[in-house]
Amino acid sequence: MRAYLNTINNPWRAFDELMSDFPYDLFNNAWRARTGGYPRVNVWENENGLVVEAEVAGVDPEKLDVAVDANVLTLKGEKGQADGSTGEFQRSFNLPFELDNESIKATVKNGVLTVSIPRKAAAEKRKIAIEKL
Amino acid sequence: MSLMKKERYDVQKDTRLEVTPISRVDESDEAFTLTVELPGVSEKEIELTLEDRTLSVTAENTVERFKDYTLVLTEVPEVRYRAAFEIPERVDTANLKAATRNGLLILTLPKREEVKPRRIAITAG
Repeated sequence: MRAYLNTINNPWRAFDELMSDFPYDLFNNAWRARTGGYPRVNVWENENGLVVEAEVAGVDPEKLDVAVDANVLTLKGEKGQADGSTGEFQRSFNLPFELDNESIKATVKNGVLTVSIPRKAAAEKRKIAIEKL
Repeated sequence: MSLMKKERYDVQKDTRLEVTPISRVDESDEAFTLTVELPGVSEKEIELTLEDRTLSVTAENTVERFKDYTLVLTEVPEVRYRAAFEIPERVDTANLKAATRNGLLILTLPKREEVKPRRIAITAG
């Protein structure tokens, strides 16, 4: 992971946080509080994309919904509750890069959902010429 | 002079967190259904034993690793699930059934015939 630029005087800090590999804090605190902590996940990342493993024991795979919208991944489904009723759950992840929703692969085995999503191919990097004044 | 007993400590075995899995019991007229949540465990990996009236469940989950990827968030650790249940006398343990589905271990504990609710016929008089 790229090192964070933590200096207070860094004018690019906000920009850099957006561009960094993974805004860990954003992920753990703000988002979890907002969208609930279920299901629990492990997230793996590389420059090509993402793999998310979620513990979804007791969830009907037919009713499991994995959706990708730009840079947001949402897991939704129904889980049997302790009192016999079924409760709906939803958890969203805000990622620092856009995802390619055409090529998502998702499998469920032994109550574990594994979703693999590639990144959207980035636009070509442009080299900026520097004029000598 | 007493000799200090050297304890055999299997470090490899104890790196897993021991966790009590989530479980619940539902009751019907015919049986109790004990559901134990064991995500990441296949039925081959579950150790289920009944000793006298104690039912024990032990299982280690498999957390997949992905080469060429960096782990950036871990909420699912490698654990050893461990639970023990005292089966009441009302249960006919000889006919206990166990099955897995979607990461759940579902145990059907049939009730003994004599404790099943019986409808009593009422004759008109």
